[in-house]
Amino acid sequence: MIYSIARKEFVSTLRDRRFLVLSALVLALLLVATLVGRRSYRTLQQERALAQATVNDQFHHQPARHPHRVAHYGSFAFRPKAGLSLLDSGVDSFTGTAVYLEAHQQNSVNFSQAQQSGSLLRFGEMTVAFVLQLLVPLLIIFLCFGAFSEERETGTLKLLLSQGITLRQVAWGKIRGYSQAVALVVVPALAVAAALLFTGAEFATGPDLLARLVLFVVGYAVYFFLFVVGSVVVSAWQADSRTALVTLLGLWMLGCIILPKATANLGATLYPTTTKAQMDAEVHEEAQKGINGHDPQDQRTAALKASLLKKYGVDSEEKLPVSVGGIVMGESEAYSSRVYQQHFAALNATYERQNAISLWAGLLNPYQAIRPLSMGLAGADFAHYVHFQQAAETYRYQLVQRLNSLQAGMGYGDKERRLDAATWQSIPTFTYQPPTLAWALSRLLLPVVALLLWAAGLSWLGLRLIGKTSIT
Amino acid sequence: MNRFSLFRLLLSYEWQHFRAARGLVVLTGLLLATGLYGIYYGTTEIERQRQHLAALPELTRHNIDELKGKFPGDADAGDIGYYHTTYAVHHPDAWAALSLGQRDLNPYYVKLRLLGLQGQLYAADNVNPVKSLSGNFDLAFVLVYLLPLLVIALSFNLLSSEREQGILPLLLAQPVSPTLLVGAKLAFRLALVLGLAWLLSAIGMLWAGVPLDGRVGLWLSMTTLYTLFWFGVALVVTALQRNSAVNAVTLVGAWLLLVVLVPSLLNLWVAAARPVPQGLELTIRQREEIHAGWDRPKTQTMNRFFALYPKWRDTATIRERFVWRWYYAFQHLGDQSVQPLAAAYTSGLQERYNLVEQLNLLSPAINTQTSLNALAGTDLPTHLHFQQSARAYHDALRAFYYPFLFKQVAFTHADYAREPTHTFTSQPELLTAYGGLRKLLLSVAVIVAAGLLLLRSRAIQPR
Repeated sequence: MIYSIARKEFVSTLRDRRFLVLSALVLALLLVATLVGRRSYRTLQQERALAQATVNDQFHHQPARHPHRVAHYGSFAFRPKAGLSLLDSGVDSFTGTAVYLEAHQQNSVNFSQAQQSGSLLRFGEMTVAFVLQLLVPLLIIFLCFGAFSEERETGTLKLLLSQGITLRQVAWGKIRGYSQAVALVVVPALAVAAALLFTGAEFATGPDLLARLVLFVVGYAVYFFLFVVGSVVVSAWQADSRTALVTLLGLWMLGCIILPKATANLGATLYPTTTKAQMDAEVHEEAQKGINGHDPQDQRTAALKASLLKKYGVDSEEKLPVSVGGIVMGESEAYSSRVYQQHFAALNATYERQNAISLWAGLLNPYQAIRPLSMGLAGADFAHYVHFQQAAETYRYQLVQRLNSLQAGMGYGDKERRLDAATWQSIPTFTYQPPTLAWALSRLLLPVVALLLWAAGLSWLGLRLIGKTSIT
Repeated sequence: MNRFSLFRLLLSYEWQHFRAARGLVVLTGLLLATGLYGIYYGTTEIERQRQHLAALPELTRHNIDELKGKFPGDADAGDIGYYHTTYAVHHPDAWAALSLGQRDLNPYYVKLRLLGLQGQLYAADNVNPVKSLSGNFDLAFVLVYLLPLLVIALSFNLLSSEREQGILPLLLAQPVSPTLLVGAKLAFRLALVLGLAWLLSAIGMLWAGVPLDGRVGLWLSMTTLYTLFWFGVALVVTALQRNSAVNAVTLVGAWLLLVVLVPSLLNLWVAAARPVPQGLELTIRQREEIHAGWDRPKTQTMNRFFALYPKWRDTATIRERFVWRWYYAFQHLGDQSVQPLAAAYTSGLQERYNLVEQLNLLSPAINTQTSLNALAGTDLPTHLHFQQSARAYHDALRAFYYPFLFKQVAFTHADYAREPTHTFTSQPELLTAYGGLRKLLLSVAVIVAAGLLLLRSRAIQPR
């Protein structure tokens, strides 16, 4: 019986012209979003790969220079786009793309796309995730709002129940039928997206990417299922189709438009961040005078020099086999990097606290559960961004310390000398290894749990409520 | 009964109807609450930015104290230029609190040293990307994004609910023309929504403490026209005389199209039609130029510099291994060499903005948002003006330091106070705002005319 109800809903949905028009629109948008996503992925990726190759090449082909000059010349780290980011670009448009890596300071990641697109971007970015998160739920609402109320209005619900079937069975039949109709729209689109993803030669098709894609699809399947069940429940619960539709649209707006913005802004109000100017000043202060306000830089330098003289058993700097300048540079880099790291860790912790509010809101609002899950699987969320930042910083530190030790090895009077151009070619360039799926998933537990709780809760509680709904 | 008292009677019934419909009262209250939150958020955000800006002179003072300690007597101005930081600051206009625009994305201050400008001009401030992704919750967002939804909720069943409940034949049997009926219903809802929009605007203006100039009228006219536009859409849908569910779907579809789809598709189109040269190339090239300065013969660098600044041509020839005036000369030459790239970057952004300006007739939502941002001075052109003014400030700083460097005058403690300072306050782009208003007027005229024509051409079906 459930099967025949499902079949009836599925068939009558396909005959409904409104549904056909809407799903054609959604399909077209999905296709546009996929193609655009692929194109922008390609151009961005090429641009960044080219820029990275250029700076690496420039680094290797420097003339003979003093190592500290090279430390200031520095290098750049460009953030490669993650494989699935063509489906969900997440925070990518709002994070910069390049970090300048140089001695003594950690620079910000500059040139975000958001700064280049004016206020239009603020209305939303046309990506596959945008269509899946916002528009498909609307399609589902339009499809299902009359599931019970229309039957009740036309009097067919009574007839159905007189066949000896329970309300709950009717509901399941409808959910099944509608789910099939939704799948008919979404599955081909995602199949095309997957095909595009795996046919591009530039994508490293690994098991990691495939697993991410599978989870991506499963996540959205649960999300859509939630909307189908929710719409059917609301349709049964409300007196007539009109109020059911208005209630559902109201919930969509609250969940997909108002709450995400409100929680993000609330987070920023509750946990304010310091400006970069303030942070730079504090770092400078601490690096100069010592973290606890003791032991200023010149005292540290003097102590270091004394210990060097003692270690090599000589009485003057000229007789040392190493350059005091280089060793002091290395020490002070270690010191200032530690200070920087503390401040960046504090800043990121503040961001995490701000974001946690939105993340916990996922328990109230499925949209705020699927969004972080989708971004995280696509490798375009905040955690992935921080991972890149830290990789760039690790490289910067190693690069600068390597150059400092080269300087130290040049001995007394190093400032007047330069190292051969071949030296620079022996220094490895920056390569970025994006994190694995397991790494990403461990940070996505909350949204996963929230989605599953929603699915289970709605199916159980919602359908219990349906059993008590009035028939006439 | 004359038409006027009939109209008043209809209005009073609508009011009773509205009060009885608990859902609508809740919805209106909700919009009022979100509007108040929007005002609260916008004003606190701008207040936070003001506090951040107010803290910058203190940082500069602190930096100067440190330098005075480091160089107790007369100093080489080159050292000061290298270690001394000042700030170019972009103060918000009071209106910015109501329409934050891009002020959260574009840095509102630039930290400057005497070094090459291009390496410093684009430094981003600390921003949480997740927050930027979600966007601002200011009054403009509530008015542009959410207010149409209230219009839709109030008017999707304008005649259809009467028809569906079977009251419409009874109503039309009374001596009341259908046009008057629709007119009274729309007028009541219009008064309600406009009242709400004006109330929120007035609260916002008082809260943000805006100056009471012509922009008050401009803001209110823009809000009013935008509200009228959405009632025009509701009128068209009512005139089509479908059932409530179809009306709701159509209206939400129109909202989705104009507020969500057109902007995001337009964004794609504009990005493709007006590619902006990436800033990356600029920074890479500038670094290359500046660092090559160390390896070039000093006379070559100085001659290139003197060609730009003949004033300093007669200064002493450089024989030292390192001297500051040579260092700052090649820093400046690095800026000079990327000048075309920097100009292309800026003009590319401006062209993108202009294209959106031309195309925003397609969606009154974009038009209203850009106009409100223009009025508040929070959009891209203002940011570009700020960058321009930061550039001029950097020029002024160089002009201040060059005599010390080239005439080899010692920098004394008294000279810190003579250093130029910078301030820039957003200016509204009134021309853009007036243009937006004209376009909005056009949209309203078209949609209302279409609605009236439709209403006239089809007799109202009682069932």
